[in-house]
Amino acid sequence: MNRLECPFCGPRELEEFVFHKTLPEAGASEYAAVYERVNRIDDSLEHWQHLRGCRAWLRVRRNPSTGEVHEVELLGGGRS
Amino acid sequence: MDNTPQRYSAWALLRARLAGPGYWRSLWSGAKLKDGYDVVVVGAGGHGLATAYHLARDHGIKRVAVLERRLVGYGNVGRNTTIVRSNYLLPQNHYFYEDALRRWERLSSVLNYNVMYSPRGVLDLALSDGDMVDLARRGNAMRLAGIDAELFDRAAVLKFAPELAASGPRRFDIVGGLVQRRGGTVRHDAVAWGYARAATALGVDIIEDCEVTGVQSAGGIATGVETTRGYVKANRIVFAVAGHTGAIGRMLGIPLPIETHLLQAMVTEPIKPLVSTVLVYVHPHGEVYVTQSDRGGVVMGGFLDGFPSYTREGRWYRLEDVVQSAVGLLPQIAGLRILRHWAGTNDMTMDGSFIIDRIGHDNVFVNGGWCYGGFKTIPASGAACAAFVATGTAPDLIRAHGLARFKTGHLLDERGGGPFPVRQ
Repeated sequence: MNRLECPFCGPRELEEFVFHKTLPEAGASEYAAVYERVNRIDDSLEHWQHLRGCRAWLRVRRNPSTGEVHEVELLGGGRS
Repeated sequence: MDNTPQRYSAWALLRARLAGPGYWRSLWSGAKLKDGYDVVVVGAGGHGLATAYHLARDHGIKRVAVLERRLVGYGNVGRNTTIVRSNYLLPQNHYFYEDALRRWERLSSVLNYNVMYSPRGVLDLALSDGDMVDLARRGNAMRLAGIDAELFDRAAVLKFAPELAASGPRRFDIVGGLVQRRGGTVRHDAVAWGYARAATALGVDIIEDCEVTGVQSAGGIATGVETTRGYVKANRIVFAVAGHTGAIGRMLGIPLPIETHLLQAMVTEPIKPLVSTVLVYVHPHGEVYVTQSDRGGVVMGGFLDGFPSYTREGRWYRLEDVVQSAVGLLPQIAGLRILRHWAGTNDMTMDGSFIIDRIGHDNVFVNGGWCYGGFKTIPASGAACAAFVATGTAPDLIRAHGLARFKTGHLLDERGGGPFPVRQ
């Protein structure tokens, strides 16, 4: 995992992006959303920001064991 | 055949000389896996071995096994930057870390194994007046707890660590520092070897190449562990799997306040003695610590890579950050070449402090969530965790470190970063 594909800027160096947090599981309680992690080894849904680029907020689905990025989409565009 | 490792002494050396080659027995190998144990400790790293050692020594529990997926000391105990210190801010933390530091001071004689504790001092640097205020606050908190801390002005810093006085381009000048003289470094591999040997001498079975794949239970009580070498009965189970505690939560089906992040370290080619102490600089956006190993390499480490990962592949830009920060402190090392560089997985908790508690069942314990500060606590963690497992009650030193703190709001957020593992 050396790059992320920003919906506006295209593939950019990972250094330009900042990881913000891991997103809660579907149906998680408010407590679980803040404090609990399932720690899946093959799938992680996260908020990132293209901070040193267009500053867009992104939802990223990737595999934390291989670094493979499955999906990058704009936060607020598409699924909520 | 007696498998107990011999004690080291001048007499033992003499006997070994007279006996010729083959006199020394191996330090820990040779134990056979039995059907069942009073306590099964999962993970032969520093914390697991220390826990097993204290269970056998302090609590008289003789049937103890340590199961290790790979080899003794192959995990984070052999991948850290070997720094020990107790300069923490929060009382729940600094008493515990101070207990660890007091144990480090005596550990070589306690284990009868030289762990090369080197009290060369830990010097936290201030590069601005604001930094000085922070360091003074932390130093005062430590002194109130009876822990040694001295606040230095610029001249005193340069006297304590003359290598910082080198002329050279320095973007931010040194304003002062906070020193803990008893802090320093310990030979990390020797800690694993020393505990493994001492535990073996007390009858603990250390079983390598034996991965735990599940826990079996009946009637709400865990009865044993499934391993790659078959089922092992256990009255009590302790997980001490630094960096993989999240995986234990997944295996047990229990979500934990832990994420797995990467931390990098690196070492340069060996040079003559230069760095006389442990240099640390922490700022809101990163961190750097620099020591020199006994072999002469300049060891450097820094901040987390910044996102959850199990890959052990460090990011190049973080390596660059760390090296730039180190060169910022010591311009004279700019020409050195990096010899090795590696990344380790860290259990990052939601408040940056560790967790020792029951998990899932009354007789299953977890010793984890050490973030990137697990090495320095090994002796205290082993003693406290063993007392918890043996008596069923958490000792005072770790009473605040249970999982309940996340529900009750009594977080131990040393850095004040909020519930974000990446910011701890």
